[in-house]
Parts: sequence; C-alpha cells; structure tokens
Amino acid sequence: MADIVIELQNVSYRYPVSDDYVLKDVSFTIEKGKFTAIIGNNASGKTTLCNAIRGFIPHFYKGDLEGIVRVGGKDTQETQLGQMAEQVGYVFQNPFIQVSGVKDNVFEEVAYGLENLGVPVDEIRLRVEEILKLVNIGHLRDKNPFELSGGQRQRVALASIIVMDPDILVIDEPTSQLDPVGTEQIFDIIRLMKERGKTIVLVEHKMDLIAEYADNLLVMSEGKLVMQGPVREVFGNPEYERYNIQYPHVTEVALQLQKSGMPLAFLPVKDSELAEALNLKGVVACD
Amino acid sequence: MKPNALLQLHPMTKFYFSLFILAVVLIVPGYWFAFSVFLGLVAISLLAGVFKEFIGIVLKALVSVLVIVFLMQIFFFPGEQVLWRWWIFEIKQEGVYYGLILTSRILAIGSAFVLFFRMTEVRDFVKSLEDKGMPPMGAYVVLSTLQIIPEMRRQANTIMEAQKTRGVETEGSLFVRAKAFIPTLTPLILSSIAGTEERALTLESRAFSAPVKKTSLHKLTKSRADRILPILFVLIILGLLVWRVVLWQTS
Ligand SMILES: Nc1ncnc2c1ncn2[C@@H]1O[C@H](COP(=O)(O)OP(=O)(O)OP(=O)(O)O)[C@@H](O)[C@H]1O
Ligand SMILES: [Mg+2]
Repeated sequence: MADIVIELQNVSYRYPVSDDYVLKDVSFTIEKGKFTAIIGNNASGKTTLCNAIRGFIPHFYKGDLEGIVRVGGKDTQETQLGQMAEQVGYVFQNPFIQVSGVKDNVFEEVAYGLENLGVPVDEIRLRVEEILKLVNIGHLRDKNPFELSGGQRQRVALASIIVMDPDILVIDEPTSQLDPVGTEQIFDIIRLMKERGKTIVLVEHKMDLIAEYADNLLVMSEGKLVMQGPVREVFGNPEYERYNIQYPHVTEVALQLQKSGMPLAFLPVKDSELAEALNLKGVVACD
Repeated sequence: MKPNALLQLHPMTKFYFSLFILAVVLIVPGYWFAFSVFLGLVAISLLAGVFKEFIGIVLKALVSVLVIVFLMQIFFFPGEQVLWRWWIFEIKQEGVYYGLILTSRILAIGSAFVLFFRMTEVRDFVKSLEDKGMPPMGAYVVLSTLQIIPEMRRQANTIMEAQKTRGVETEGSLFVRAKAFIPTLTPLILSSIAGTEERALTLESRAFSAPVKKTSLHKLTKSRADRILPILFVLIILGLLVWRVVLWQTS
C-alpha cells in the first residue's frame, strides 16, 4: 500500500459561534505525492477542511472537533502548531492578510519563514533567489509588500510558503485574483511542486485546470464530503450533476451533445480529448 | 550616497551615547554646560547629515515644552531676589536660574534622544535589542506596529475620501476635521482587531513559533569604534563623578 500522508477519520467540526456543523463526518486519505483538488460551492467547508489539515483546527480555532486528523502519521491534536509549519505549507485564500507585517521588501518577506526556521543566511539567499525566479516576482523584490496588487500578493504569498519546502502544500484558491496567464503560471508551479514529490491539496473553482492537472477530487457540499476519487471518475459520475458544481467546459459541452443524441466514445475532461471523444479523429479541434 | 561613518555605528553605541549625554548633563552643574552640549549635538547632526530633520523635531516638539517649563519656574520657583514685579506676578532671580538649568537640561537630554532616533533605524534598534535577548514576540509587536501605522493611515484616508463623496465635511478647522475623523475610528479599529487573528495565522504559517533558533538576514556588525566608545563613555562618566566628589569635599 502506498504511503498515506493525510488521513481524516469521521471528522466533524463546528466553529465556536456556529450553530451547525461545518464539517460533517468527513473521511478520506491522501497518498504521498498526489495532487488532490477540493471542490465545492461557496461555504461548503473547503477552507475549514484546509484548516483542519493544517492543525489550525483545533489549535487555533477552538470549537468542537470530533474524529481523527492524521498528518504524516501523527494526530494533529497532539502535534504542536509550531512543529507543523515545516511539514505543511498553507497558502491562505485571502492574499491581503498574508503579509508578515515586519518586512519592508518582497525579498525579505519571502525570506521570513526561512529565518524563523533557522536556516543559515547564505542558504536563505540562494533559496529565495530561486523561488523569486520560479514564481516570476523577481521584479518586485524591492517593493513594499503592502503596496502590491492582489495578484502580486498572491504570488508573493505562494512564494513565501513554497520557499520553506514543506512536504505537503495546502493551497486555498491561489488564483482568485489572477488573470488567465497568471493562473496558468501558478498551475505550472504547482505541477512543478508535484514533480518534486510534494503532496498537494488545492481548493480551486477553475475546473478546466483541475481536470488538466489534478489526480483526485474531493467534492464538498454543505459540510459533507459527498464524492471522492480520481478526477475522471468523479466528473463521469452522473451523481456529480446533483451538486450544481461546475463541470470542466469541455465536459459540459460533451454532456450537452450527448443529451441531444450525439454518441460519445468516452466523457472528455480535458480540452485535448474532445475530438477523440466525439470519434472525430483527424479533425482539428479548436478551442 | 556615501555611507556616513556616524550613521553606521551600531545602534547600541548610539543608544549608549544618548544615555551618556543624559548622565553627563545631570552630573555637570550649570546651564552653560548643558547648552553647549546641545550645540555639540547640533554639530553631530550636521556631521551625520540629519540636521534638518533633527532641528525640525527639536523646534516642534521641545521648544514649546521648554517655554512652558521656563515660565513656570520663573514665576513660581520660591526665592527672595525679586527682579521684576507686576500685579501678583513676580520674577525671582532663583527662578530664572533654576528655569535655565532645567530647560537647558531638558533640551540637551531631549535632543540627545531625538538625535538617536534620527540617526538610527528603529528596525536596527529593535534588532539590536533582540540580539541582547528581547523575545521575538516583543520585537514583532514593535516592528509590526511601525509597519501598520502607515497602513492604517492609508485606510483612514480611504474612509475619509468615502465620507467626502457622501458629503461629509472633511476639510477646514481642527474641529471640523476631528468631527470627520472620529467616525472613521470604529471601522479602523474593528478591522485591525479582525486583522490580528488572521495575522496570527499568517505568522504561524511562516513558522513563527517553530521550536528552533531563528536566523536573520539582517546582521548588525560592530566596528572598532563600537567597542571603544562605550568604554570611553563609562570612563568619562566615572571621571566626572570623581571630579564632582572631590569638588564637593574641598568646598
Ligand atoms: N472563523 C469562522 N468562524 C465561524 N464560522 C466560520 C468561520 N469560517 C467559516 N465559517 C463558516 O463555516 C462555513 C464554511 O466556510 P468555509 O470558509 O469553510 O467555506 P468555503 O467552502 O471555503 O467557501 P468559499 O468558497 O467561499 O471560500 C460557512 O458557513 C462559514 O460561515
Ligand atoms: Mg474558502
């Protein structure tokens, strides 16, 4: 059996002030090196799930937590918050809060986590240089983090986390403020992280990109984990339609065609598969 | 810009210098001395290239205090030798003398610290305190406050602009401006309170509480001057103390 790095068993959780449970009996496992996307409509509990994986629940957000969350084989309830930073990198949904507030340029901002981890200074400089280039923010290095645009902040936030080189990356909607080019770049970086063997948990609404890059899906609806499995299986399951979550565009089109009587060889989820799915091999597919 | 040797001194050296001025001014009697110390500080600010900011703050912040203190002393300090009298007011010789002593000392000590903060980046000063064993959380609080103040000012301006578009008067006399400003405080304070929770999480995600010893890109170096000057300060203070004691015993 493959290495399991994240495991949730019957996890339910309620914020201190909320009446209803925000996570309801959630169970799943994630294997090392897999790219898992969490999808679901607003307020379905995606961010809360990320908080549970990172240990912010229950260490920071109190409230009632039931069930077991294990990360790297250890129960997060028994791990200290400070010890998890090196293992799980968490990029928040809101890019405007992810500034340390004590650094006055982007280079130092990105370096901050490494300073806290006690990495030797020479190594910090090398690693930050590399990440600035990777995330394409070299030109911002001397800018004040408070004076960046939303998209720029999102990149800086991602850079500040991946520079710490955690084994697990939990990334909550990293492209909400980015244009299509910026979004592609972020996904490229995430793909690269996967190639480096990182386990990736990504919350995202852009289904085309998820279909392109992710291995597995977790579908959240009103606090329940309603579907899980390989991307193609989940999108291909007729049950998926019930939750009113977006399909990848190509899948949507293909389903429409199928409804109007056109036979499909299989259900395409990536743009490049459309022609083949429609048995139109040899015809050039445009998008 | 050519790096200035005075500015490049270690923050602690500059801080010790301010304390040194404080001690010297209190030890050596007479206002002439304290006033010449002030002139010395002005000279240093010129050498360090911070004269304009230095003198600006001294004039704005200190002078009004000094005038008030001085007036209080000349009118209310008890004494016999009346120099000038009008209605119930009288100025006494002792009051003038004591007023001069007090103001000259406040001027010298106050400007020594103004000069310190003109010559030292707070960031560097906090770093040097951290090197001396101040806990990282304390350092964080000081530094983040410094960063957040301009950010809050920016937010306050945004809110004021919004008020203006709704027709709220935001310019004019102090009273009008205060009236416009006070309602902005609530959202400002609320948003910064909401900010602290998120900030704590941000810090956590950046390994702030990782159980290891932190490193720092920002290194403060000590030159030879930084090692010699503090010793010199102590020696001079000791010398002055001895001189005072001898003077006191022979008189
Ligand atoms: N700090 C909190 N305190 C109390 N309730 C919260 C808190 N954060 C979220 N909730 C509630 O929990 C529910 C799930 O929120 P969550 O942020 O996990 O949703 P989400 O799936 O990430 O939504 P989105 O797509 O908008 O980011 C919501 O009903 C929300 O109101
Ligand atoms: Mg969310």
